[in-house]
Amino acid sequence: MISRRNFFSITILMAVVLFLCMSLNSLKDYWNDYTVNMYTETAENYPSKVNIYIPNASRETETAGQTEQEGSMGTAYAARSRVVCIGGEDSASMLRTEEWIAYTKRSYERYLSLSRYQASEKGEELPEMLVIDSSCVNWESGNEIGFLEETVEQGIHLVFCGLPDPSVLRNQERVRKLLGIRKVAENKAEVKGLHLRDGFLLGGEVFYLPEETDREKESAAETVFPGGPDFPWLLAGSGTKVYMNGIPADSSVKAENYPMLIWRKSFETAYVFVISEGYMEGAEGLGILSAVSAEIYPYEIYPAVNAQNIILAGYPAFADENADRMEEIYSRSMRQVFQEIIWPAVTSILREYHYKATCMMTPQFDYTDDELPVGEQFEYFLKILHEEAAEVGLSGLCVSQTPVDRKLAEDNAFIEDVLGSYDIVSFYAGSMEDEAISDALDEDILADARTVVKEYGNNAGEDIIGFLSEDVTAQSVLVNGFQYTYRNDFLVRSLETALGYSSMSFDMRNVAFPEDSSSVWDKLANTIASNVEAYGKPFRKFDRTTSAECDARIRNLLALDYADSRTGDKIVLEVSGISEEAWFVLRTHNESIKDMEGGSWKRLEKDAYLLAVREGEVIITLEPADERVYQ
Amino acid sequence: MSMTMLIILQFMGVLAAYLITALLLPWVLLRRRLGGLRLSARLMACLMAGNFYVINLVFLLQLLHISCRGTLIVGTILPFAAAGLHRYRGRIAFLAERFTGRARSLSEGEMGRKTFLLRTGRVLRRFSSERLKVWLAFHKVDILLISGSLALILYIYGLNTFQVYGYSSSDMVLHNYWINHMGNNNLFVDGIYPFGFHCVMYYLHQVFAFPTYMLLHVFSLVQTLMIHFMLFLFLRSVCRARYTPYIGIFAYAASDIFYQFVYYRYYAALPQEFGMLFLLPAAYFAIAFLQERGITAGLGAKKGELTLPSVYLLLFSISISMTLSAHFYDTMMAGLFCIGIGVGFCFRCLRWRYLKRLLLAGAAGILLAVLPMGIAYATGTPLQGSLHWGMSLISAEESEDSTSEDKAGDRENEKNTGSGTEDAENGMKNAQNTDGAEKGQQISFRERLYRILEKIEECVTDGNVPATGFILGSIGALFLLGILWFLLGRREYGAVLISVGLFGVLLGILQSAAQLGIPQIMEYTRYAVYIGYIIAVSWSLCLDAILYLLFRERRSIEYGALTALVLAGILVAYTGIKTPVRISPYESNEAVLCLTNIIMEERHSMEQGNSGGEGESGSSAGGTWTICSANDERQMLWDYGYHFETITFLQQMEDFDEETLLTIPTDTVYFFVEKVPLLYLDYMNTVIPERAVSAEGAQMPLPKLTGLEAYIGDARWIVMSHMYYWTQEFMRLYPNEMEVYYETENFVCYRIRQNGYSPYNFAIDYGYN
Repeated sequence: MISRRNFFSITILMAVVLFLCMSLNSLKDYWNDYTVNMYTETAENYPSKVNIYIPNASRETETAGQTEQEGSMGTAYAARSRVVCIGGEDSASMLRTEEWIAYTKRSYERYLSLSRYQASEKGEELPEMLVIDSSCVNWESGNEIGFLEETVEQGIHLVFCGLPDPSVLRNQERVRKLLGIRKVAENKAEVKGLHLRDGFLLGGEVFYLPEETDREKESAAETVFPGGPDFPWLLAGSGTKVYMNGIPADSSVKAENYPMLIWRKSFETAYVFVISEGYMEGAEGLGILSAVSAEIYPYEIYPAVNAQNIILAGYPAFADENADRMEEIYSRSMRQVFQEIIWPAVTSILREYHYKATCMMTPQFDYTDDELPVGEQFEYFLKILHEEAAEVGLSGLCVSQTPVDRKLAEDNAFIEDVLGSYDIVSFYAGSMEDEAISDALDEDILADARTVVKEYGNNAGEDIIGFLSEDVTAQSVLVNGFQYTYRNDFLVRSLETALGYSSMSFDMRNVAFPEDSSSVWDKLANTIASNVEAYGKPFRKFDRTTSAECDARIRNLLALDYADSRTGDKIVLEVSGISEEAWFVLRTHNESIKDMEGGSWKRLEKDAYLLAVREGEVIITLEPADERVYQ
Repeated sequence: MSMTMLIILQFMGVLAAYLITALLLPWVLLRRRLGGLRLSARLMACLMAGNFYVINLVFLLQLLHISCRGTLIVGTILPFAAAGLHRYRGRIAFLAERFTGRARSLSEGEMGRKTFLLRTGRVLRRFSSERLKVWLAFHKVDILLISGSLALILYIYGLNTFQVYGYSSSDMVLHNYWINHMGNNNLFVDGIYPFGFHCVMYYLHQVFAFPTYMLLHVFSLVQTLMIHFMLFLFLRSVCRARYTPYIGIFAYAASDIFYQFVYYRYYAALPQEFGMLFLLPAAYFAIAFLQERGITAGLGAKKGELTLPSVYLLLFSISISMTLSAHFYDTMMAGLFCIGIGVGFCFRCLRWRYLKRLLLAGAAGILLAVLPMGIAYATGTPLQGSLHWGMSLISAEESEDSTSEDKAGDRENEKNTGSGTEDAENGMKNAQNTDGAEKGQQISFRERLYRILEKIEECVTDGNVPATGFILGSIGALFLLGILWFLLGRREYGAVLISVGLFGVLLGILQSAAQLGIPQIMEYTRYAVYIGYIIAVSWSLCLDAILYLLFRERRSIEYGALTALVLAGILVAYTGIKTPVRISPYESNEAVLCLTNIIMEERHSMEQGNSGGEGESGSSAGGTWTICSANDERQMLWDYGYHFETITFLQQMEDFDEETLLTIPTDTVYFFVEKVPLLYLDYMNTVIPERAVSAEGAQMPLPKLTGLEAYIGDARWIVMSHMYYWTQEFMRLYPNEMEVYYETENFVCYRIRQNGYSPYNFAIDYGYN
């Protein structure tokens, strides 16, 4: 028997506990405004293509041999250093150089050959550097070599994309001296790996040393290593600094005799950089040029996106498809697999590495079957994704051969049916053609889309970031997160160096429709964790963003203009064209930031800093990186 | 922090470490057993015991090849453990409980924290307020005088140590080299040599983790302080008046009548000077033994314990052993002193039972010192170059060539370290040979006396005739006073005076050996060190004998002594006070400063690199490093980094062409360049270098020399000029990579960080190769 008083107290207590338990969840649901995309903001609030900064540029065309002026948008050009590109019209390395010039807001000129540059530039102000496609130089011509030597004497830095033929190097001592080559040891180097020294690309020193079994695989060199598979064995001469070299299969070779891949020859007046075949043609060239620029000057400031994205393409999905296979592998339906198996693993990885996810949902993978998406599942995922601050975008991919316009129409109908409306900001286009993307963006469901995430195809002229249309940006996925390769690692390092940008995608079609046992989630989850660690660990100081956040930063980067100058230990950086926060990378040589007015900074690594600029003019005070303890 | 402050702190640390090891620990262990000795004698005994134990412990562990920090610490603790076990056998648990009782009460809550603090405070207060007050009241004059002497010695000798960071003697690099190899249990790396000094240095380096180069630098001052301390203890033991010892200390430290040969070597930590620590104790313990009337009956000797005379004999034996462990010259001097003591105490020494014991103790001491060297010799280690000279002297084969001790040493030094000679006053050596008496020439007594005086003037008083006269007069007065006291019935006291006087006379004769036609067993300049030392003893003893004569045992003798001290002070001030000397070092201050910074920074980055965790990408944390410099840093950075000779570096790119390759495969390379090259003159000097590097120097061909030879005189200027222009050109080619690490008007250090997988080719055309 209990007393009435006790009975009353227990009842009250239970009621309070019940209320707390129930009300917390109810309140969480109540305040979870999941039906509104938290990353939605009209594109009008961001810089659009019309605001883009266009450098002072002229390009020589093949047909007319005339120079065509670009950049007539009324932009006030800053008096900035000029880069001259010498290479064919379709030269991939030159297109990549132009892209880098656009990001770093330099002025540039483009010539088809050295002789044309020689003829045109007389009396012109000297450029800061010449980026030369080696195939455009007549290495046998003493006149051209003499001109290049003269250019170096004038203080113009040379960047050679690609190498002359080894036979030329063997026979031409002047070329060897110009390029800083002591000797041509072999026409083709036999290497077991590559070594990238620290201080060049961001991310530190790295060895690309695959297992012997990998190297023995057919065409291993092409898939395993970045750059071209074949390169001559060139030895460094006097005054040469090597940034990347091969590690010979013969371990008895001394380090000073390792074959060079990327290096620099120092002259008293200027530097000559040589970048072997296969490094400048792809997006890697952006990072290499940024690193080259940082090597040339006592300090270098350039704008950065400062965005690290993880894209879950095709996640979540809301229909119970591929039921037999799901049942066979997981003993669950697809919806349950996505909800109960994948989501906990994904969240733990995101939390551990402090990433934000962009979930490119697809209501269905197969639009030809009878399985329809479940609205409750959609709402459930919106809630939990909202709680995790993940962005919900839309994937344009499916496993059925359904046309994208039909897919998007069905998706729109589904969303309208469940929520009435939901603003989609980011659209995942995968490897869709530009035309198909353009068509897709005309669909109702993508009326509010601001950015398109697409796969990087390593095609000449394909920008990593940029505008697809007047108001819609494009951002490239750099690597497939389910696969780690040295080539991708090098690409990530290059893009982090050039733009502070990285984007890793995980195509969940592999999980929903597994092709073999390697696509089982248990294995994939381990792969994801290790790859996120491998690609992202050296760059933890960069911001983790969603596609929409990244989009805003891309717009700012493309719109801004900047100028910098240094007096003593103070660098003054003036930023114009935007009113939002902008990010810059500062690279120094044995100096560190002591103080910064008008923004803040983070140390990325030795001699590399990420600057957050919040005012039009910032002053950065430098100090020696280390000082003597005992004086 | 300034480098001077670091050196002061290091000096304090080394002094404390040495005193703990050589004085405090033996005091704790032996204070009861040495209870019969006077305090000053007890202190000397403890210092002898401490040094003896440390040296022989290191020898033992080195010969067993198990020497390391752990074994050295265990070896240090072992005697305490053994003594503790012996004393407290069966009561250890009880004692442990008793001593930890208060802590147990505290931990178990029986006693509150406040009560604990209160009781502990009471104990401390009782100690500080009562015992300390009594002790201070009794010793206040002594404390004042000791503090004054300490300040004076620190002023005279410390300024150079604190302001000149490099080695002040060329052969310290060689000693550094030998000590470094002891770290690999490679004793006698350069051949068999008295290693007592090196054992102590090695012990302090290993156990207390002092860097060897810093230890060698500051130990010169520690050693000098201890030499003066020994002088004080000896005088305190033999003088009758309490304060007369201070007269000798003060005059010796401050008087300007002494020429540089008397005290220059104190500016460097050298084995000979280290061995001087044991010279006076050896003499004192021999005197103390001979002063005992009955050698079988000791004070307070219990059954199974040593009698007091036996203790003296044992300590005499140990002291003799230590002199030989440190340096042969010190043993020779101890032997000479023993001859003086033998004559002074002839009334005892002519008795076989005294003489027998004394001779046996001396022989045992020598045997103890020779034993480790004998074991090494038996196991195939050859003699060090300079010992061949000693052996040839013993065998009396070619006594005329006896001045070649250092020459033999030099050749070895250069081969192994590129360093120089021990002190190598070659010009002087040549001079002494030309001055020397021709064989068979008859020299009159007057002429001999004249030559002795001339040599003392030359080496001890720098031509100051009155000072020489004063010195000789004090020696003569010592004899007269000794004889007087002998006649007055105080034979033991008189014998001490005669012994010291005779030792001074013998030193004077041997210093002029070459002029007198006697074999020169060591350089005459080195006698000056001992002569100066014994003159200080003579002055104190002279005044003591006079005061004793005037006041006898009366209390007023102390006032007399104080008055004499004041008068001596006035006299010293009147004749001139010694000015602190600034030695021109064998390594610039900037180079040592850079080296210290480099070692610290590289070790710090290594620790950061090894600490793991979230290692930062792009940082070259914790790597290998090399200093490219002129020679001396090679031994200094032994345990830490690598060294590349500047001359080798330049010679490798002398005939530069496209194929020339010069790499240094470490992560960081430092280049030391002297913009005003040092005057490396191979002996201690005070000349300030002034000639800066220039294009003129760089245009001259590089010297075709190796080792130290390439850095002496003009060669150093040429090498540094070449190096300077190389750095300028390399900096033009690598402006962002090559950074100025440290720069002054006279010196610049450059740093280049590189990658081990793509090292820089340092070979460039710098315009002068």
